[in-house]
Amino acid sequence: MSRFIRLDMSTKKVSIGETPEKYLALGGRALTSQFVLDEVPATSHPLGVKNKLIFAPGLLSGTNAPSSGRLSVGAKSPLTGGIKESNAGGVTSQKLASLGIKAIVVEGKEDKGSYILRVTADNAELIPADDLAGKGTYELTALLKERYSEKAGVICIGPAGEMKMLSAGITNNDSEGNSSRYAGRGGLGAVMGSKGLKAIVVECDKPFDAPVQDKERFKVAAKKFAKILMDHPVTGEGLPKFGTNVLMNIINEAGTLPVRNFSTGRFDGASEVSGEKLAEVAIERGGKATHACHPGCVMRCSNAYPMPDGKVCSPIEYETAWCFGPNLDISDLDVVAKLNYICNDVGLDTIEAGCTLGVLMEAGVLPFGDGEAAIKALEEVGQGTALGRIIAAGSELAGRVYGVTRVPAVKGQGIPAYDPRSCKGNGVTYATTPMGADHTAGYAVTANILKVGGYVDPNKKDGQIELSRNLQVATAAVDATGLCLFVAFAVLDNEEGLPTVVEMLNAQYGLELTIDDVTALGQQILNNEREFNANAGFTKADDRLPEFFYEEELEPHKTKFELKDELDEVLKF
Amino acid sequence: MLLEVRLYSGLEIYVENVKYGKPFQVELPSGGTGRQLLDKLNIPQEQVFSILVNGIHRDRDDQMEDGDRVALFPPVGGG
Ligand code: SF4
Repeated sequence: MSRFIRLDMSTKKVSIGETPEKYLALGGRALTSQFVLDEVPATSHPLGVKNKLIFAPGLLSGTNAPSSGRLSVGAKSPLTGGIKESNAGGVTSQKLASLGIKAIVVEGKEDKGSYILRVTADNAELIPADDLAGKGTYELTALLKERYSEKAGVICIGPAGEMKMLSAGITNNDSEGNSSRYAGRGGLGAVMGSKGLKAIVVECDKPFDAPVQDKERFKVAAKKFAKILMDHPVTGEGLPKFGTNVLMNIINEAGTLPVRNFSTGRFDGASEVSGEKLAEVAIERGGKATHACHPGCVMRCSNAYPMPDGKVCSPIEYETAWCFGPNLDISDLDVVAKLNYICNDVGLDTIEAGCTLGVLMEAGVLPFGDGEAAIKALEEVGQGTALGRIIAAGSELAGRVYGVTRVPAVKGQGIPAYDPRSCKGNGVTYATTPMGADHTAGYAVTANILKVGGYVDPNKKDGQIELSRNLQVATAAVDATGLCLFVAFAVLDNEEGLPTVVEMLNAQYGLELTIDDVTALGQQILNNEREFNANAGFTKADDRLPEFFYEEELEPHKTKFELKDELDEVLKF
Repeated sequence: MLLEVRLYSGLEIYVENVKYGKPFQVELPSGGTGRQLLDKLNIPQEQVFSILVNGIHRDRDDQMEDGDRVALFPPVGGG
């Protein structure tokens, strides 16, 4: 039986029911976005009583399909004002799926207390936890694991979420108990905070116990899929060896690395904060250059970076290394790690924090390149000072407060680590995805820079609309399966990739899906999300990049972004 | 002609005293190609997936010019 848990924070009632018929075939982003469209009024206040927060494991989570333990978290976003699905690795997706839980919904509102939801094999109870209020995520996770079960997965927020800051994230832990696997983007931590929920403890020691209808058929398909991943040079070799931050150098060489708040495309210090350097230092200090964020991931892109103060930052991702490195004119990996760790502990999206610090440096509030000043400023988030609150309110708001025009954000969400002027496919994705600027929503870096899944010249506008559209549809579907998006590197280059994913789904659920059904699912998800945003007041004017990308030339290729009206065609199916 | 070369993501092990990302000069006859550059540096052809010349992807048989900035990569990805 598939269970659907609803927690009403206004009445403090928890109900465990059967999954409604309508949601049985959905999972991950397909479920969260459908649910938010169905039950959250588009015009509701994101921090108000009517917003609902939903956690849903992907369809394949809890099976031994490789790299399938991704969790989707959905709600109306306080940062963008639109619909949000934020996707996290970590161990809890597999645990929820192994307990037969389709989703946990948190609704209502609680202004005073702090609570935790404790989920066990046959129960879910709400427990007052005022003693945990204000705790950082690392300490909180350790405490809750000690209190309930070392094998538990802990989903939680830090002080940023409790203070309802607009770019607060929701985290959960990896296999070692690091609370660093974030559903970071879009401020969902503030939604959780507005409901008075500090954490969800999922007690389950089995990562691979989700029901599978045809076990033999599934085993064959999962094995084949693992081989497809292992055989591809990126997913089988590149990602395990240097992690996602291997991108730093190639993005820099390609001249599309946003430097000093998107003012130029190359950075002399890039290799000092690259994956190569990270692997070198991590190994030298007894950390790990290769690490899995959940059991059963074969690509193991994560790492564990020991910091000079004895703490370990695990992982440092490319986007984070970029936003606290080149974006701030900083080339010291220890500073990057420290900023990353502060975000993880206080409960803040790293990308948004980095974009915002970039804007504040542009405004002259802090000097570019000053790591110590950046650390000191970021520490103010946890203290809730006025500057701390501005930093945690995101790049767009900070830009307005200080009168900055070069603000890299779409729909209120900061633009990540690829300048749209010389990686135009990603520019199309930033502009048009219903999520607000999001590199993962249609990762055109593949064909633009990495030559995976074909090649489309990143500096020209030809082919970018179609590239982004196809990737956005495929990504929406992948986000429903619980597979890590990085499987796309192998799937795009191997024609057996997608059929094998479909085969796993069919074997698990006793279905007869075809590849066309997967495309239809991706389109349906995007249509739902666009419908919500339209109801919330978004128009095509919101599907554009900030003006400066159209006006200012980016070095070294002297490019501008020139796609405008064509963008309206991207998500028309 | 002189090229300004950078090696990344493990390719640097093929050339003595070279660190990833640190530029070094290589002399090739004018009109030389990426393929010739790899041969000269003793980097196995199949190890190199991307050749970026002044930030633009080039085929390994494309000719290069004096002063070009050349970056060599194995297959890489992330996100
Ligand atoms: S590839 Fe990386 S992010 Fe994806 S599931 Fe594996 S360790 Fe996690």
